[in-house]
Amino acid sequence: MSRYTVNKALWDIDLTDANLEAFKADPAGFLDDFEASAHDPRPPYPRGGSLTEDERRAIETLDFGALYAMGVNPFLLWQFARSVAVPDRMTIDDLIASFREQTEPHGSPDFAT
Amino acid sequence: MISAGEAGPRVASGVMARLVGVAGLTHNPLMWSLLASGTPDDLVTTASHVRSFRELVANLSPDVIVLVASDHLHMLVTSNMPAFMIGKSPSIRAVHPNEQRSFGLSPATIEGHPTLARYLLGGQGMTPEFDFAFSDEPWLDHSFVIPLLFLTPELDVPVVPIFTNGNSPPIPTAARFGHLGSYLADAIASAPGDERVLVVGSGHLAFELGGPRQFLGVSPDREFDRQAISWMADGDLDAAVAGSSFDRLTRAGNETYQFLNFVTCLAAAGSRHADVSAGPESRFGALPFFFWDLT
Repeated sequence: MSRYTVNKALWDIDLTDANLEAFKADPAGFLDDFEASAHDPRPPYPRGGSLTEDERRAIETLDFGALYAMGVNPFLLWQFARSVAVPDRMTIDDLIASFREQTEPHGSPDFAT
Repeated sequence: MISAGEAGPRVASGVMARLVGVAGLTHNPLMWSLLASGTPDDLVTTASHVRSFRELVANLSPDVIVLVASDHLHMLVTSNMPAFMIGKSPSIRAVHPNEQRSFGLSPATIEGHPTLARYLLGGQGMTPEFDFAFSDEPWLDHSFVIPLLFLTPELDVPVVPIFTNGNSPPIPTAARFGHLGSYLADAIASAPGDERVLVVGSGHLAFELGGPRQFLGVSPDREFDRQAISWMADGDLDAAVAGSSFDRLTRAGNETYQFLNFVTCLAAAGSRHADVSAGPESRFGALPFFFWDLT
């Protein structure tokens, strides 16, 4: 598991409107492209990296609880959650309630990379 | 004016710059966007502090602001994560695209102050007291921009941004943030030039985002808030450092590490009693407002 690569994927998805729309339209395709980018690194901030099956599934299915439990950066996670879920899937109040329910069992995970 | 090409704080002579004040305040972007369209009941006291701080800063008439804040994984991700970094470009880009979308912030260009920035870095050699990273292309996120919008709404005072790692563990220790403040005070006081310099810190009291204690409508740790406000009011740097261990800040909320920028403020103010030390309650918890008038 690589918290760094998951953080990098969440950062990449929320970075621009174009990336966010591309992910929302085709999460698996976006992540395929993200992972493939690691084979064509362009410094100084090379894109991409390898994700495990669990990591890909958690991002693709918007499983915020699983991502939180993995120890992804909480700020990146919340920005990702809000950007992908509101308003397309739910209201901000519903997201806050759902997010709390999903994260509460996991306490305060270590999120050092 | 500060002259270019100086070798560092230890060799300065002649007319010196002057640290005229230190301010520490919130950068909560959701609170900022609420205040931009009116003043809800729970933010009346906060709005009053913002107006008061704006007047205090106007009265100090700073020529340059040294702004200590923690990039929220906008410019800096953990492919390269410095503990402390100075931005030294003459022109500084502000607000990232996803902050326009999420917070309604407008992109801006802010004047930098590369001469003072290079001086703080140590000129041609790294300083023996403090080893900064540097950027010739800093890009400020809301943690820098919102305090500036509160204090200098026209964004017309040149800025030296100092990026601190307050978001990606391992976080530098509270003692290190204190050393940063002491270093800044000493370096500014010895910088050649006649600028009036204001140090501004940006951060939180107890605060959580992206965890189960976010948006509770109250502070996640009122005891921490109470202690933190006392440390600033009492000018007690030792207590602030002792009370701001990584574990204690984590218990206060997963974004509380940015309180450490206020430890830098307290040290920069020479551990004086703060003239203002307040944490008005709001739907976002307690919002920090600290001020030291050093004139």
